[in-house]
Amino acid sequence: MAKTSGNLRLEKLTKVFGNGAEKVVAVRELSLTINPGEFVTLLGPSGCGKTTALRMIAGFESPTGGSVLLDGEDLVQLTPDKRPMGMVFQSYALFPHMTVFDNVAYGLRVKKMSATEIKKAVAEVLDSMSLSHLANRAPNQLSGGQQQRVALARAMVVRPKVLLFDEPLSNLDAKLRAQMRVEIRNIQRRLGITSIFVTHDQDEAMSLSDRIVVMRNAVVEQVGTPDEIYRRPSSVFVADFIGRSNFLAVESAAKSKAGKAKIVVSGKKMDVAAQSKALSSKRPVLLVRPESINVTAAKSSSKKLGKGVGRVTSVVFYGNHVEYTLETNEGVIVAVVSDPIYDEIVAVGKVARYSFDPSRAWLLPSDSIEAMNGERE
Amino acid sequence: MKKNSTPAKYDIFTKIALVLVLIIIGFLILLPLLNILVYSTQPSGSAIITNSLSDIVTRNIIWNTVKLGLSVAALGTLLGFIMAYTQARVEFRGKKILHIINLVPIISPPFAFATAIIVLFGRSGMITRGLFDWRPTLYGYPGLVLVLTLSFFPIAYMNLLGMLRSLDPALDEAGSSLGANKWRVFRTVTLPLLIPGFAGSFLLLFIESIADLANPLIIGGNYTVLASRAYMAINGDYDISLAAGYSSLLLLPALLVFLVQRYWAQKKSVVSVTGKPSGRPTMVTSKVAKVFLLSVTGLLTFLIVLVYLTVVLGAFVQIIGVNNEFTLEHFRYLLGGFANGAIKTTTILALVATPLAGIFGMLIAWLVIRKVRRGSEALDFLGMLGIAVPGTVIGIGYAITYNDPVKIGGVTIFPQVGGGGALLGGAIAIVMVYIIRSSPAGQRSGIAMLQQIDPAIEEASASLGAAGGKTFRLITLPLISGAFLSGLMYAFAHSMTTLSPIIFLVTPDTSILTQKILAEADQGRYGNVFALCCILIVLIMIIGGLINLLVKRTQVSIDRPMVTGR
Repeated sequence: MAKTSGNLRLEKLTKVFGNGAEKVVAVRELSLTINPGEFVTLLGPSGCGKTTALRMIAGFESPTGGSVLLDGEDLVQLTPDKRPMGMVFQSYALFPHMTVFDNVAYGLRVKKMSATEIKKAVAEVLDSMSLSHLANRAPNQLSGGQQQRVALARAMVVRPKVLLFDEPLSNLDAKLRAQMRVEIRNIQRRLGITSIFVTHDQDEAMSLSDRIVVMRNAVVEQVGTPDEIYRRPSSVFVADFIGRSNFLAVESAAKSKAGKAKIVVSGKKMDVAAQSKALSSKRPVLLVRPESINVTAAKSSSKKLGKGVGRVTSVVFYGNHVEYTLETNEGVIVAVVSDPIYDEIVAVGKVARYSFDPSRAWLLPSDSIEAMNGERE
Repeated sequence: MKKNSTPAKYDIFTKIALVLVLIIIGFLILLPLLNILVYSTQPSGSAIITNSLSDIVTRNIIWNTVKLGLSVAALGTLLGFIMAYTQARVEFRGKKILHIINLVPIISPPFAFATAIIVLFGRSGMITRGLFDWRPTLYGYPGLVLVLTLSFFPIAYMNLLGMLRSLDPALDEAGSSLGANKWRVFRTVTLPLLIPGFAGSFLLLFIESIADLANPLIIGGNYTVLASRAYMAINGDYDISLAAGYSSLLLLPALLVFLVQRYWAQKKSVVSVTGKPSGRPTMVTSKVAKVFLLSVTGLLTFLIVLVYLTVVLGAFVQIIGVNNEFTLEHFRYLLGGFANGAIKTTTILALVATPLAGIFGMLIAWLVIRKVRRGSEALDFLGMLGIAVPGTVIGIGYAITYNDPVKIGGVTIFPQVGGGGALLGGAIAIVMVYIIRSSPAGQRSGIAMLQQIDPAIEEASASLGAAGGKTFRLITLPLISGAFLSGLMYAFAHSMTTLSPIIFLVTPDTSILTQKILAEADQGRYGNVFALCCILIVLIMIIGGLINLLVKRTQVSIDRPMVTGR
C-alpha cells in the first residue's frame, strides 16, 4: 500500500545536554530523509544518541538546534500530543489502571471519536493482533509478548503518520523477540506507516529495516541498506559493530580502476573493491568476514608462519560450522568454516593455510581503528 | 544519555499550573514571612534580635528553646530507634497492634498528652501521688521533654523503620559470614548504615519541638521558649514588632535545620532501596537484647495506651482521679452550646481546606517530578515551607498580613481575610493556613508515588494526543490516587488538630476546637479538655472514614508496588 504522506526529514538535528564544562553533545547535526512507508533503524552502541534522536522526533526532548519536518511542516515547536506520531516504549508503558481495551481506545477517545467508531476500530486492531480474547484483562495479567502487542496496537490504532519504536523488544526472550520482529515488519508493511526503530541489536536492525542508520558518538557513521552496511561498511567502526570482522594488514596499495585497488596482502597480489577514502589513508586495512575465509591443514611440516599460513590457537566445533582463531603475520584472524568435515578439522597448535576470495574483501581506511578500541568496553 | 524526561516545551497547562502554584505559595506563605522580617526590623523587634546574645532574659529563652529541642530530638530518636528495631528485628506477638499504637500520637489532638500526663504523673497525679505518694513538679522542662518526646517519637520511629526494612539483609549476612558476631554486625554494619536516618530524625524532631506552642502553654510553667514568648508578645504585650522579633529568632534556625535535613541528611543516605529485599533479615536471638528491647517497647506502648485511656475515661467522669463518678456532664455542657459553633466551624473549614490542600500538594509534586526542569528543588522547597516554618511564626505572619487588606501603592491586591470584621469572619485566613500547613504531606507522598511511576506511561499518553492537563487528569491522578488519599486523610486530621498558627486568627465569629481546648486547659477544666479531645478524635475518625470511602470508590487498585506499565 503506497502512502502519499509520512515523509520525515531531519535537518541538522542537534541536542546538547548541560552547559559549560559539563556540556555533553548527545546528537550532532543529524540529517536524514525518510521516505513514506519506509522502515528505518537507528543502530548504535549505548550512549551514541539514538534514543535522544528518537525522543526529539517524538517531541519528548527539545532540540538544541535543527528541525524535524513531516511532509514539509516543521514540528519542533509542537508538544508531543500535537504530533501525528505513535510511539512504542521499551517498558511498553501500558496504563496499569485500564484494561487492554481501554488502553487501545485511549488515543481514539482523546480524539473524541464516537463510541461506536471506537469500539469498531479497537476490535479490528485487537483482532488483527490476536488480542481479542484479552480485551478485558488488566496489563499486569498479560505476558511480556502480549503486553508488547497491546502497546503496538495502542500506537497503531490512531493511524499515526510515523511510528516510533524505542528498543521495544529488549525485554523479551530471544525466541519471542524473533517472532515479534516478523510480526512488526508484517504489520508495518501492510499499513505502510513510516517507521523509525531504535535498537542496539544488529540482528534486529538487519532483519527489520529498509535502511539502517549507524550512529556513534552523537554522529551518523553510515546510512544504508542492510547489505550495504554489511558488505560495504564505510568505516572500521561500522564493520566491527555489524557482524564479525577480520582486518588484515595490507603491505601495499595502489589505485586500480574506479572503486578498486591493487593491493598486496601476505605476499599475494590482488584486486579488491575499496572504500573511496581507503587509498588516501596512511595504512588501509582489508576487511574480510570470518565466513569468507577458508582454512585447510598446511602441507608443509615447517612450523614457520608465512604467506597465507597461520597457527591455530583455538578451535570451536559448533556442529554446523567450526570456528578457528589463527595467529598470523597479518594479525589474529577468525575464520568460520561451515559444514565442516570432522576429520579435516585442524587441531590447536597446528599450522593451517588460510585463503579467501578477493571479491569478498573490502578495503577500508584504518584511521579510526585506535579510537574504536578505546571506546569498546 | 537520558538526563531527564521532560517534554520538549512547557505546554500551556504546565505554564498555567506553575504560575498559579507560585502565586498561591506567594500569598499563603511568602508574603506573611516577608512581613515577619519587615516588622522585626521595627524598634522593639530589632532590639530583641540585636540584643539576643547580650540580654540575659532573651538569651535564656533562646537557650531554653535549644535545650528543649536537643533533649527531645535525642530522646525521641533513641526511643524511635528502639521501637523500630524491635518492630523490624524481634519476633513477638501483637506486632501489628503495637505498630498502630505507636503511630497514633502523630494525629492526636495537641493537648491530649499534656493534660493526661499531668493527671497521671503530676503533683497530684493518679500514679505519682496515688501509687507512690510522690509529688513531682512536672511543669517546666521535665514535663515538656516527656510530653514532646511522647508526641513526636513516632516521626523517628516511622523514618527509621522504613530504613531498617529497606536494608539489604545480605549485608548483615555478609558481616556474619566474615566472622563477626551479631553484636559486632549490629555495631559495624547496621548502625553505620542508619546514620543518615538518625541525623534526619534528630533534625525533624528538633524542628517539631522548638516550633511547638500548645505544650509550652499548658505544661511549660515558667520555662519560656521562643514560641510561647512570641505568643505572649501578641496576647500580653500587644506588640506586633516584638512578636515578629521573637518569630524571626525562631524562624531562622528552624529553616536552617530544615534545609540541612532535606538537602544534606537525606542525600547522605547510602541505603539502597531495591524494593525487593533479597532475603529475610536476621532476627535478634540474644535473650538479654530481646528482654531489653521488648521491655522498653512495652513500657512506651503501655504509656501511650494509658494516656488515651485517661483521655477517654476523663471525659466520662466528674474529675478523674478525684471524683471518679460516671457523668455525661462534660459532653452535655460542650454540646449544649459551649462548643457547638466551634465543632461546626472547625469541621467545615477543615473540609473546605482538605481537598484544596490535597490537590495543591499533588500538583506541586507533579510539577517537581515531571515538569519543571530547572529549579525543581527550589519549587519543592517552596512547597514544603508550610511545614518547615513553625506554626507560631505562620500565625503571627498571617495576623500581620491579612488583618488589613494587602496593598501595593495604595491599590488593594488582596482583601482583608483575617481578624474580626474580615470577609466571612476571618474564616478565609484559617482555611489558607490549613491548606499551607497540610499540603506538604500530600506533596511528599505524591512525589514518592510519582518517582515509582515510569515516566514513559505519561509520555505514551502524550504521544497518543492527550495534552498536559488531560494526561494529568486521565493518567497521573488515577495512578497517584492512593497517595492522594493518604495525603487527604493527613490533611484533614492535621487541619482538625492544628493550634499554633490559627490561634492568632480566631475571631468571635469563627472559633476553632483546638482553641477551645486551650481555653479549657488554661482554666484547669480537664474533664472538658478530655471530652473535647474525644469529640475531635471521633470527628476525625468518622470524616476520615468517609473520605476513605469516597476516594476508594473512584480509586483504581494497583496491586503492584512498582508501577512500570509492564
